[in-house]
Amino acid sequence: MSLAEDVAAVRHAVALSRLDHVHHFRIRGDGAYDALDRLLPSALRIRDGQLLHTLLLTEDAHPFAEAYLCWDDEEFVLLAEGPTAEAIAGHLRRHLEGPGVEVEDRGRSHAILGLDGPYAWELLGNVVEPEVIGLPYLTFYHPGDAICYRAGKTGEFGYGVILPRERMADFERHVRAEGEAFDLREVGLDALDQCALENWFFNIRREGREPVTPIELQLQWRVSRRKEFVGSDALRRRREEGARSRLTCLLADGPVSVGDAVLLDGGSVGRIVNAGFSDSRGEWVALALLDVAWAYPGIEAFTVHGGGATVAARSVSPPVLVNRSLGVSPQLHSYATRHEYASAPLVRR
Amino acid sequence: MTPQDATLAGRIAEREAVLARVRALLIQVLGVQREPDEIDPDTPLFGSGLGLDSIDAVELVVNLQERFGVHLSDDAMLRAELRTVNTLVDLIVARGRDAREPR
Repeated sequence: MSLAEDVAAVRHAVALSRLDHVHHFRIRGDGAYDALDRLLPSALRIRDGQLLHTLLLTEDAHPFAEAYLCWDDEEFVLLAEGPTAEAIAGHLRRHLEGPGVEVEDRGRSHAILGLDGPYAWELLGNVVEPEVIGLPYLTFYHPGDAICYRAGKTGEFGYGVILPRERMADFERHVRAEGEAFDLREVGLDALDQCALENWFFNIRREGREPVTPIELQLQWRVSRRKEFVGSDALRRRREEGARSRLTCLLADGPVSVGDAVLLDGGSVGRIVNAGFSDSRGEWVALALLDVAWAYPGIEAFTVHGGGATVAARSVSPPVLVNRSLGVSPQLHSYATRHEYASAPLVRR
Repeated sequence: MTPQDATLAGRIAEREAVLARVRALLIQVLGVQREPDEIDPDTPLFGSGLGLDSIDAVELVVNLQERFGVHLSDDAMLRAELRTVNTLVDLIVARGRDAREPR
């Protein structure tokens, strides 16, 4: 198996992934809304059937976990990743449990399967039912006793299907059988992480490990300034002090690694926090925490120094690809006839 | 400051000025309920991020034409260019430089 082939499956066809790194919790009770509102940094404006893309922060306002929150028929579903299930459960119980709030870990009873790619909607429609094709981004519904949600962090159509574990094996067999017509390929987390990097999706396992806040990470859209939550005091202090760095996307002429120094005119202006080779672009894509004075796209004079080597780098506005999914319409297109219509190039030069 | 520093400083200042105008457009015309400094430059416009919808997209295209003289006629171009606040700024800055290039 090669990472390049796995990423190509995500970018051009359909990729299957076991989302074992995503931990599933149900939160219920009369006090659940207020408890979640005190925990999560996002404004809790959420309708039945909708996913809220949010974060769990530490008291220092550093990322603890990445999460989707759903409101499902009188109770909340939280799909969280980053730390282990035990660590997330401990964090939830510490901050949520009390009178009128119950937290249930569904990791043992349920499994999640992911499908990503410009034709993931078509395969899923064949396996589940045609209605799934019309599912808007960041929504979910119940085909039978499953939860089918549309989210994804690759820039392509992306879906998750949550089923009781005893039903998942049969479902997966059905997906694989139907998936043969889509050149379905199972991919691992490293392929999803590379696609997330190319498409500027926050990665809790990479840049999320840095001791910085949503301000430096350009994640203020997930944070409300108008309420108190775990980490709000620290975030307010950081805002008052002013952020000294900002996450910036770089393209590099050679290999770069996490921890490498980023230089401008010979002086250090930051460091690499996420990096990977993009086969679609034929060059290295990296994320760096740069001094705010230089954290702008369009600077071509950076160099990255690490492991005895120095490579040239330039800052750009992400995402770094024109995703195939942007040009695919479920009303017009199909994987079987994909060669009959022109697609925009993946890379704009 | 070297000539290269001055050029870079000028480009950054130009970018900041356009970013401020784009933030004002998002807040005042498209109704984004955020303070300007809460709108990070690489925030996605549609889907997640600012959560703009297809109606906002039409409003955005009209205002790009009226306020910045940027015309987007091609649907594919629209989807490729209008990804984040910064890709919008890239478009406006590039068209502005094109307009200033001697013919």
